[in-house]
Amino acid sequence: MSRTRVLIGILGLDQHEVGAVAVARMLRDAGMEVIYLGCFQTPETLVRGCVQEDVDVLGISCHSWEYLHFLPALMEGLRAQAPEVAVVAGGSVLTADDARNLAGLGVAATFDAGATPDTIIATIQALGARRAGRLANLLA
Amino acid sequence: MGERRSRSGIPLRPYYDGPSASNGQAPPGEYPFTRGRKATAPEAGGWIQRELSGEGDPERSNAQLKYLISRQQAGIDVIGDSPTMALLDPDHPLAAGTVGTQGVSLCRKDDYIALFRDLPLADISISSSVPGLFALTGLYIAAQALGFKPAGLRGSVLQAPFYMEDCGYAVGMPFDLRVRISADVMQFCAREMPKFHSFVEDTYFFSEAGLTGVEEMALGFVEIRHLVREVLRRGVPIDRFAPRIAILVNCGMDFFEEIAKIRAVRRRFARMMREEFGAEDPRSWSAVISAHTSGLALTAQQPANNIVRGTAQALALVMAGVQALEISAFDEAFRTPSRESHLVALRTQQVIDLETGVGRVVDPLGGSHYVEALTDEMERRIDALIEEIESQGSPAELSDQGWFRNFFRDAMERYHKQRSRGELPVVGVNVHRLAPEEDTLLREVAEGKFAPSGERVEQIRAFKAARDPARVGRALRAVSEAARRPDANLVPPVIAATEADCTMGEVAGMLRLAYGRPYDPHGLLAPPAGAA
Repeated sequence: MSRTRVLIGILGLDQHEVGAVAVARMLRDAGMEVIYLGCFQTPETLVRGCVQEDVDVLGISCHSWEYLHFLPALMEGLRAQAPEVAVVAGGSVLTADDARNLAGLGVAATFDAGATPDTIIATIQALGARRAGRLANLLA
Repeated sequence: MGERRSRSGIPLRPYYDGPSASNGQAPPGEYPFTRGRKATAPEAGGWIQRELSGEGDPERSNAQLKYLISRQQAGIDVIGDSPTMALLDPDHPLAAGTVGTQGVSLCRKDDYIALFRDLPLADISISSSVPGLFALTGLYIAAQALGFKPAGLRGSVLQAPFYMEDCGYAVGMPFDLRVRISADVMQFCAREMPKFHSFVEDTYFFSEAGLTGVEEMALGFVEIRHLVREVLRRGVPIDRFAPRIAILVNCGMDFFEEIAKIRAVRRRFARMMREEFGAEDPRSWSAVISAHTSGLALTAQQPANNIVRGTAQALALVMAGVQALEISAFDEAFRTPSRESHLVALRTQQVIDLETGVGRVVDPLGGSHYVEALTDEMERRIDALIEEIESQGSPAELSDQGWFRNFFRDAMERYHKQRSRGELPVVGVNVHRLAPEEDTLLREVAEGKFAPSGERVEQIRAFKAARDPARVGRALRAVSEAARRPDANLVPPVIAATEADCTMGEVAGMLRLAYGRPYDPHGLLAPPAGAA
């Protein structure tokens, strides 16, 4: 089975990078391929990154409220250009209400401050495997 | 059982004893000031009690500041929203989702006047976490417009020229320009604003990457030494500016190590100023230290526990003898402080000050075998790390090669590993957790959101469109010309440009261009017509 490929980025002008760096490392240590785009991303740069890097999962790190502003455009862009990519969002600012709203927008999973590393890794690996399975079916 | 260690990794003995631990130590108020800057503590209010503030537009932040002052806050500290901290105007295409939500939106002369309107600027200390050049020029202009002489102002601006680009406040400027701006501000203030702390070495923000106290202070000293050498090179005598250098330190949860760190910093600073730089004025030797309690130590889980954390950290800081203190508020994991959390944090300081009496005596822990041993060891380790960092190359090289960036990344990863493995116990996170349905106390306050200000974006667009483009262009060209002359001080032309209604984003863009960088670090904007 191929390794799960994950793109990680932070939207807008939010410069709280500690969580994104730590999660990128955690996923790499768990055997995934991680492309770390860092700060100052827009829906366009993230969609382009997903297409160019052919990733399974896009991880958005949220430590400001900017994701609320950018997420609709991001999800629309992905639907048009990379519909197979699963989006996950994580960060201490994410509340239970946010998780419901994000699910409504099509976000596959949300990790709040209480999410354990095991949960994050298992969830992303499962999303990656699901995409790989769908692609394999398409080719079969 | 494993060996016990402090947060910075210092091995600890079961208990400490030996000959009198204060043997041969100078008393507080005397060189090398390990035990404190002053020999006596005032009856109350021995430190400036304030809370980080700023949200929405300048008018809304002005109301917030008045509220805190009405609750007996003794100084103010303003933080900008994300665009302001990145030196971008609110009408920048990337800014719309965040204008005014994590601090105040500031970009022009009128904003600073609105921010400071009707505040007792002569009686309080005015500090700012907005990038130093613009915080200073904004205050300078606003004070004059509001009838105050800049020469009488007290307060401070933060500087972090080495590390900002790598650790949370990237502004798209090269190393040389960042250092020059800091030195220009110091040189300008030595002449024009002698009571103002023109260089606060901000070790707080970068240590929030998860650095140890030793790493925090070693990086801080590397930066301070470089800047002092630069200002000396320009011919300013050491005693003209050294008394106006301050250090903003972090305070995490390791109670005694944080106290020892601050005592060690005072001693290290005094030795550096007297022995290395030849300062003769005792005010140059005794470091002014302000502190924020660590936001990284606070948790989204069980937010009420953060009040306890802030109290423990603030107690450590008061016992260490800091000059100013801000407690990160209990809703830190979710937002900049709400009105409720602001008040709790301010009241925590007031309870410590007026009820516990821990500040009645200077250096109440001086002579403790443990604290003295830890102070010595912290100083030794800070020194060793300074030497190690400086042996790696010049700061400009280290910055350009990404050495600092890697240092911070490693710290971020290490911190998270320690937390997720439980090596660093955090109540409510990796031990003593609560089920989400039980974790409700203060949650409603902490999770409150407000929308970014679209009106503010429109206001600045309209403002820009209504200006005289020739006047703006002239003033921006003058900034460029000064930036291209290494011997010019950038502060006067930036003041002139701000007076001429140029914005922060425009001025910063011209400075970037003069140093060979793109006008807009995100490649989305061009300079105003007539500025080139």
